[in-house]
Amino acid sequence: MSRAPEQRPAADGKRHGAYRLAGWLWLSILVACALWLGVMLRHGLPADTDLTALLPADRQVPLIEAADRQLGSGFENRFLLLLGADDRVAATEALGQSLQTLVDSDQLAAIDWRELDLADDDPHDWMGAWRYRLLTPAWQQAIHSDGGQSLVTPALRRLFSPTARPDPVADPFGLLDAWLSRLPQSPIGASDGLLTLEADGQTFSVLIGKLTGSPYDLGMQAALHQTLERFQQTHPQAELLRSGLVFHAAAGARQARHEMSTIGAASLIGVLLIIGFVFRSPRVLAQLMVPLLAGSLFALTLTLGLFGRLHVLTLAFGASLIGIAIDYVLHLQSDRAIEGAGFRLRRLMPSLAFGLISSVIAYAAQALTPMPGLRQMAAFAAFGLVGAWLSVVLWLPRFRLHASPFTARLAERWWRLCQPRWRLSPWLALGAAVAMVALCLGKLQSDDSLELLNPSPADLMQQEARVQQLLDRDTGSRYLLVRAKTSEALLSRLHALDRTLDAAIADGLGIDYQSLARSVPPAAIQQANLARVRTLYGKPLEALIATAGLSPDVAERARERLDEAPRLTLEAWLQTPLGELQKRLWLGRTPAGDIAATIVISGARDAATTARLERIAASQPQTVYVDRLSRIGRLLAELRHHTAGWVALAMALMSVALIWRYRRQAWRVLVPPFGATLIVLSAFALFGVPLNIFNQLGLLLVLGIGLDAGIFNVEHARKPSAWLAITLSSLTSVLAFGMLTFSATPALHYLGLTCLIGLASVWLLVPWVRPLDGATTMDRENTLNRGEPRHG
Amino acid sequence: MFRTLLLTLLTCLPLSAQAFDLADLQHQLAATPALKGKFEQQRHLADLDSTLDSHGRFRFVQGKSVVWQLESPVEERIELTPEAITNGSGDAVPPGGEQVARLFLQLLEGDWQSLESRFAIALSGSADAWQVALTPKAQALRQRIDHIDLKGARYIDHLEMHTPSGDRLEVRLFDQQPLNDTP
Repeated sequence: MSRAPEQRPAADGKRHGAYRLAGWLWLSILVACALWLGVMLRHGLPADTDLTALLPADRQVPLIEAADRQLGSGFENRFLLLLGADDRVAATEALGQSLQTLVDSDQLAAIDWRELDLADDDPHDWMGAWRYRLLTPAWQQAIHSDGGQSLVTPALRRLFSPTARPDPVADPFGLLDAWLSRLPQSPIGASDGLLTLEADGQTFSVLIGKLTGSPYDLGMQAALHQTLERFQQTHPQAELLRSGLVFHAAAGARQARHEMSTIGAASLIGVLLIIGFVFRSPRVLAQLMVPLLAGSLFALTLTLGLFGRLHVLTLAFGASLIGIAIDYVLHLQSDRAIEGAGFRLRRLMPSLAFGLISSVIAYAAQALTPMPGLRQMAAFAAFGLVGAWLSVVLWLPRFRLHASPFTARLAERWWRLCQPRWRLSPWLALGAAVAMVALCLGKLQSDDSLELLNPSPADLMQQEARVQQLLDRDTGSRYLLVRAKTSEALLSRLHALDRTLDAAIADGLGIDYQSLARSVPPAAIQQANLARVRTLYGKPLEALIATAGLSPDVAERARERLDEAPRLTLEAWLQTPLGELQKRLWLGRTPAGDIAATIVISGARDAATTARLERIAASQPQTVYVDRLSRIGRLLAELRHHTAGWVALAMALMSVALIWRYRRQAWRVLVPPFGATLIVLSAFALFGVPLNIFNQLGLLLVLGIGLDAGIFNVEHARKPSAWLAITLSSLTSVLAFGMLTFSATPALHYLGLTCLIGLASVWLLVPWVRPLDGATTMDRENTLNRGEPRHG
Repeated sequence: MFRTLLLTLLTCLPLSAQAFDLADLQHQLAATPALKGKFEQQRHLADLDSTLDSHGRFRFVQGKSVVWQLESPVEERIELTPEAITNGSGDAVPPGGEQVARLFLQLLEGDWQSLESRFAIALSGSADAWQVALTPKAQALRQRIDHIDLKGARYIDHLEMHTPSGDRLEVRLFDQQPLNDTP
């Protein structure tokens, strides 16, 4: 398999047959991959999105993931609009009716905005029989101290209030109202027949939408966006605040589309223009894509087959890393275009093989880490590179490509233009490197904040924050995660925690909390409450009935109600409209077989509060305090540290391999990748760009392309085609990845920035470390190996 | 030209005076921005076939508040404002009572514009003896209120609220006199 078939002398038939066979074999492997992939994807791509899925198994806490998802789920399939306007009623009617058309066309499941839309939310209608077992601590105390005599006068006042709805049989004392006043109240009320929120001295109409399916449904997103835009155009004075994942998802999709049509299009056009200009042939363009696509197919199939699932980050960065394979294509094609019939694959094989081996070694190092996410990424990138490389070597020489005199002239002129005018002193280079290392050590900062993962525009984030603040709603980002064997034991544990929290709050801890045990007391407490109500229904009830001027049998009828008072269970509570609001606190049965729930904390966030909450959690068994924001920050930091360690290991392994092959010339290969990395880090240190997981992943790409450039630079030091290929590879990679600098998504921006600086540095460094006069071992070997003279 | 216009206006005048409408009533009620008086309240409970009777004094300032001073059988001061219902000890009871409070204030003020969004309103009688009947439009409200009747002359004298369960709240307002200096 030493050469392309069209240049084959007749004597070489046997080798050519084997080469042909290998090509067909590779094609059949890819066809098998495509079939296998089709089978695996018939139920959609099994993709992970949790960051922790990237971490070692002992760092994953599935229950915390479940709690996080549960607390955020209300946010996923619902959205909330707040509308403030001078002509509020008319504006709300207009908006509500136009959203109703989306419900009618099945784009939305429901839209609630009229008063009657929440009519069945009056707890008096369904809390009925449970009330006799539910007493607030104040009432428990009152009955305990004097049998409930002190509750008679307030009950009388209530009975005679013009606005009350007295029911002397079912609830003469107003147990239920007292109990309900303790539960978290929805701040959303009704006014002018509309759901209304009054806050900060402003009146807003509230419109609550429910989605039929996923918030990522593009058709629904577009319809909803158009409806709201149209409303805002016709009501420019109205203030419309949006809250809900669907708006963030839509903004993300819009931004992605926008960037595809600007950054993406600019990259694509740039690459097409450059390749078209240099090679003067549309074939090269098509042939550029074939190895990349084949590599991606190979990688996706094998990684999915090996791991069963894929993380979205694996997919994104793995696919970027396959971009390194463009090197192989460009080196091969440059050589073919310039040499024409004189092209020999064998001459390029050592550098092509070594480029692949060193990159794959680097990724293999990653596969040894205990991080499942990085292992996936390594496997994806390594399979992808191998697949792309095989396609380049086995297929590309068989595709027709005419020699281009223009390309040869261009390479020659470009080569002469880029000869360094003066030589770089090794001591100067070393000094600069030491200075840069010192700069990095001294000034480089890191950033593991959650904002990196948040692509939403600032305006939408502000609206979201304002809505949460107006609704006085917590985001459920801090909670106590509590487990127990049975739901009764869980209630007792929650109840004990509630009492500790109450005591801490009375002691000055500036928090509030939501707990299921506040709504559903444990069985023992409910039993004690019923006994207390029986006491209250003795003398105090008789006094109340007599003073109110009602007949004595009212008391008898009231007492009869107590005999059939059922106990309020967690399951029953969660089915009620108020219980629905607390469903997010309920995790139910865990895979481990116990029952779990959360107590959501809001309010003060300082270190002392956190410490106190952690102590409270420690006071109960099977209870942990979770702060989601700082937890994700810690996970990102851990991921970053692991990646950094892995990059360092990969660099060390690569160095060993290169020194083994290139001996005293090895530094010439190492300077482009390592120097570029150092330049990137120094630039970040100098301009205060923080180091994060995404620019570190970008460094991997810089290392890979830098390494290939270093290898080809040393292997083919005197060949203009190699320098042309290095230039083209740097330029196209800068266009493909460096352009991402202009993305508004933080993750892509940092990846792009790293590639932009890094790849430019690779390209600038290469000429300075080129071996003198081409008399390197490698080129001499190649010249000797050439075997037969060149054809025309 | 001007004469014809004047003539038309003059001939129209008695007609419009005859048709006593909601706007006129609102105007008439608004003429007394603040007043005080006594009340007798009867709440008939259909289920028990008995009545809760109470009486006391009230004080009403348009757009601001009604103070309900119960004197018998218990003493209690209840203040209704557009924001809340507060009792003698200053607590807001029940929570979320502002809707009921607002309804009461709108009824006493004759704020038909606000009431119209939720009730069908029918006026009969004359300025000296008028009746207003309000029927809820929305199903949600109809579960709470069957209908409301108001009667009066210069002031509102009588308010009746019927619930679907057959309960009835009757309030008679008497000895009403304007307050000159608003508190």
